[in-house]
Amino acid sequence: MLRRSAAALVAAGVLVLTACSDSGSGSSANGGGTLTYMTFNSPSLTPTFWKQSIARAQKDVPGVKIKQVVAPSTDRDSYAKQLQASGQFPDLLQSITPSQYTAAGLLRPYDQSWVDQNFLLPQGNAIKGKVYIPPTNSQIIPLVFYHKSLFKKAGAQVPTTWQQFLDANAKLKSAGLTPMELGGNDPFAAAMPLTGAISADVLGKNPRWIQQRYAGKVKFADSDVVAAATKMRTLVTKGYFEQGALNVSYADSIKNFNAGKAAMYPMGSWYLGSIPKDQWNDIGVFPWPTDDGSVVVPFAVGGSMAIATKVGDPAQATKFAQAWSLDPDNLKALIEGDGAYPMLKDKTLADYHVTVSPAFSDSYAYVTRTDTKVSSIGWATNDDALPGSGNNDFYAAAQALFNSGDVKGQMAKLDKAWSTSTQ
Amino acid sequence: MQPLSDAPRFPHTSRFPHLSHWLRDTTEDLGLRLIAALGLLLYLVFIVVPVFMSLRSSFTDENPLRSGSHWIGLANYSEMLHDSQLRDSVLFTLALAVGVTVVANMIGLAFAMLLDRTELSYRVLRTIAFLPQVISGVIVGFVWKTILTEDGLLNDLLKRTHVVHQPVDWLGTPHLAQLSVGIVVAWVLSGFTTVVYLAALQNIPRELYDAGSIDGANSRQQFRMITLRMVAPATTISVTISLITVLKLYDIIQVLTSGGPADATQSTAQYIVKMAFTSDRFGYASAIAMFLLALSAVIALSVTSILRRREVDL
Repeated sequence: MLRRSAAALVAAGVLVLTACSDSGSGSSANGGGTLTYMTFNSPSLTPTFWKQSIARAQKDVPGVKIKQVVAPSTDRDSYAKQLQASGQFPDLLQSITPSQYTAAGLLRPYDQSWVDQNFLLPQGNAIKGKVYIPPTNSQIIPLVFYHKSLFKKAGAQVPTTWQQFLDANAKLKSAGLTPMELGGNDPFAAAMPLTGAISADVLGKNPRWIQQRYAGKVKFADSDVVAAATKMRTLVTKGYFEQGALNVSYADSIKNFNAGKAAMYPMGSWYLGSIPKDQWNDIGVFPWPTDDGSVVVPFAVGGSMAIATKVGDPAQATKFAQAWSLDPDNLKALIEGDGAYPMLKDKTLADYHVTVSPAFSDSYAYVTRTDTKVSSIGWATNDDALPGSGNNDFYAAAQALFNSGDVKGQMAKLDKAWSTSTQ
Repeated sequence: MQPLSDAPRFPHTSRFPHLSHWLRDTTEDLGLRLIAALGLLLYLVFIVVPVFMSLRSSFTDENPLRSGSHWIGLANYSEMLHDSQLRDSVLFTLALAVGVTVVANMIGLAFAMLLDRTELSYRVLRTIAFLPQVISGVIVGFVWKTILTEDGLLNDLLKRTHVVHQPVDWLGTPHLAQLSVGIVVAWVLSGFTTVVYLAALQNIPRELYDAGSIDGANSRQQFRMITLRMVAPATTISVTISLITVLKLYDIIQVLTSGGPADATQSTAQYIVKMAFTSDRFGYASAIAMFLLALSAVIALSVTSILRRREVDL
């Protein structure tokens, strides 16, 4: 009797588990032209933005229903993987890192002729030649934003070389000002100077560096990378970051910089959307300085949504994704709120009817000019994306450089983590 | 008039009292069995089966983004031995578990003794003391993050009272961040320990203290000879549950520090999630989860055994 009851319980348990896990994939399971769409919220990409942008794209695809799945944080990739693990991989996924999914064949590439026809850099975020997220916009990561008034007060010049940058920091500090703001409590923000230094110094000289790292031909512990990372350590030891930089959240760092508590702020171009209007004439921008003053632009081509391979109705999903990606109103929100540089062909800024700060216009020039553009390390979504937890490990190494002088040791840790991720 | 509980539930069989009792007992038995079966089913489905699935996965190279997996034997367990990040997270988790358990139990006992009164004001204070335990870990993390950041309430208070001139790096330096996490978790757990000790204190007969007083025992002696001995079973429960709670801690740390700075506050549970959903290594994450399960079981059993022996000795 007991044995029979136990067997029945096990069978019931297995049935429940099967029922829980076999939820199918998006639209095919839901039927009726419903597509599941994973989005995320940020200060500029609000629930209202998503509601309106989805409604506009739906007009181009009659009958399609969208079931929005909102990621609990901005870490879209981890959430997408959790959904995949529980058999709920969405049909459409906003702003993910496609390289993490393509090896598993989870994403469907866009038609290349459509991409070529509509975007300025058709291969900007391609993985092995295929485009999985339309290259709608781009960011520079990092730029250095600065208060013109504080520079003037300290008699500092806008630097172009690394030495001039150190001089400017020294002058600002001597004048009793905090040279640099850094919301280091959020690891990605703590890593901005390291991203800038390695992108400019290492990738600037060898744009194939990340591919060579994949091939095992170069390492983080190599002298050129260690030298670049040492620059960040120098900024720390000279006391150029604000007091307790790792105790400051990203949100507070924006407030602090806007309030003039620090003279400079290394941050991704998305900060452009957070410059208050009354500061438009005071906040300027320059690229992360190199040793010889040459301009290297750490660049990341962003994109809109990826389409899952197993989507029930690929034609409908593609049509929706294409409509969303080409909608100028979506780009308008991204330009004004997220400081994104639009990458749609045959359009000027005026076509988006946006009002942007002088800092936006000045930095947008780096996108359109022919300066050396390299993948921003830790941010690229193309073949140069770091493997596995590479981005997080990179950000953690930057935080560690605040408390450890062992720069080579930290870089060696990144090599070890790389090996683990790619094994 | 017969009390309701004794009224015959099957009047038509009242002429056959044995049958009536048999039917009543059988119905009650059936109800209990159904409840037990449901509980067992839930336990089986949500605890036992996942543990076995995870155990199986720990011997494979399972990846959340790939269908199918390969049997790789003990490779994941072997890798764990050389994983310095795992070692750091385990050491931090163990240190946190020990520190927090000691502090939370001391605070809990102290609070319980202060609140062991029957007046309304003390009952209100008891509710306040228990509050941290009922708040979601995510909310606790957010609230304390607001308190501990550079411009947070704590630094503001310290600066206003001229205790410090520069804000303290509560979450920005590895050791202070570890200490901050410990304080927050101890604060949360002290609500639970207070309630456990309060319940134990209320079961101590007053006569023992009266007898102690007559024998000339002062307050300290009464605490050592009566209170500590009588709450020993509660200590066993409170210490064991506190340890287990901290060993599997994830939510508070995730919100408060995300494991930083530079992984200094990364708990083992966080490392498991990182391996599973950032590094895409389900198999390896499962092996670490099995290790954490075994470690928790060994610690819980050892501590319970030691404390149970102490109860007898006392």
